[in-house]
Amino acid sequence: MIIELGHCDQCGTCISVCPADALMLTENALLIDHEACTECLLCVNICPIAALENK
Amino acid sequence: MMEQTWDIIIVGGGPGGLFAALEAARAGKKVLLLERKREMGVPVRCGEAVGKEDFANYVEMEPRWIGAEINTFIMVLPNGKEVMLKRDLYSGYVLNRDLFEYDVAARAADAGATIKMRSNVVSLIRDAGGNITGVRAMELGREREYYASVIIAADGVESRIARQAGIATALKPQDIEPCVQATVSGVSLPEQALYLYVGTCYAPGGYAWVFPKANNCANIGLGINGKYSDKNNTARLYLDRFLEKHFPQASVQRYTTGGVPVSMNLKTLAKDNLMIVGDAGRMVNPLNGGGITHAISSGKKAGKLAATACDSPNKMKDLFARYEKEIAREFGKNHEHQYRIKDVVYQLKDEDYDRIGDEILKIDVSKRSFLTIFKHVVKHKPEFIIDVVKAYSGI
Repeated sequence: MIIELGHCDQCGTCISVCPADALMLTENALLIDHEACTECLLCVNICPIAALENK
Repeated sequence: MMEQTWDIIIVGGGPGGLFAALEAARAGKKVLLLERKREMGVPVRCGEAVGKEDFANYVEMEPRWIGAEINTFIMVLPNGKEVMLKRDLYSGYVLNRDLFEYDVAARAADAGATIKMRSNVVSLIRDAGGNITGVRAMELGREREYYASVIIAADGVESRIARQAGIATALKPQDIEPCVQATVSGVSLPEQALYLYVGTCYAPGGYAWVFPKANNCANIGLGINGKYSDKNNTARLYLDRFLEKHFPQASVQRYTTGGVPVSMNLKTLAKDNLMIVGDAGRMVNPLNGGGITHAISSGKKAGKLAATACDSPNKMKDLFARYEKEIAREFGKNHEHQYRIKDVVYQLKDEDYDRIGDEILKIDVSKRSFLTIFKHVVKHKPEFIIDVVKAYSGI
């Protein structure tokens, strides 16, 4: 399961690579749709500040 | 639940969305711009450099938008040597993008547009026939619905609105550069220059930039190619290493992160009653990552054409086809060439950069143009010319 570690900067880079449209930003948080997520890890790898992890 | 009807709804208040709002409002349309953030223009997820002439093509510069004036371009090689190009070959600005966007938003509002902050568009609304009729937004926990004849997707790198309209906007990792920037103080640079650090030692598949601003401040950032990015090799780790080595005296005032699309423009930039502008349409020069003026230009075009389409809905299809054509002519075709050249440039190894740079350093600085660099690259790597010809002829 992909989780956000708490230091997300809301830049949206992860959203641009998500093939499942499983990520969405609010004004101050990243929402992850775990049902849509395929755990392809593209978001984990692309994050400029390693704010995502697969647990 | 409250419902409201508009002529044109714009999702996103970056330069693309703001100029779309300004033009559409000036054309007398009822315009609503929705922005997720709490403050216009902030945070600045951008190096803020623009070419003087390029910018002047679209907007008249205001003094308070200028962070610094630039007349020099310096490439720093992997071996640390600085290659200065001919003075005035590059003439540009480092913007104060926050002030710029704040002012353009005020102009759009003066022209009659309604701007809402902290309005997070989450989905498109469709009627029973599947036609897009509006957007659904979350505002402080409450769901709101807004209806319009035309929707302009200006939601930046995320590009979820176009995706909801059925356009494939997801980028492959190699088509995006994860970036981190530190705005620092205490940096005294000898020149009013844009410094570009090239080579994998600084930023694999990208480059590091040092762009001066007033009062010994600078935007220092870097982007790496997405295919080299992972949890243990983030853009941030490269930036930390870069700052430690090259600017140990710098105090960081602000960090920002961001993703820069380095793909070609989206093939589809308008569909049904939806138009796409700026980064959302991947309208970024894939060689250097510049996209401010493309966003402004596409925003202005989209705003004007959307206004015309509201007056003559039966001509919408033709007008939107014209939008796609105009974008392709203005920079879409160029981006295709630049995309192919990027592939070649990023194959250069650090030793290649060093050797080419050393040869350019033998030429008098007043004679160092982009063409001279190009000639030396070709001399060093003859196969480069073949790739470039291929790129431009589309073979």
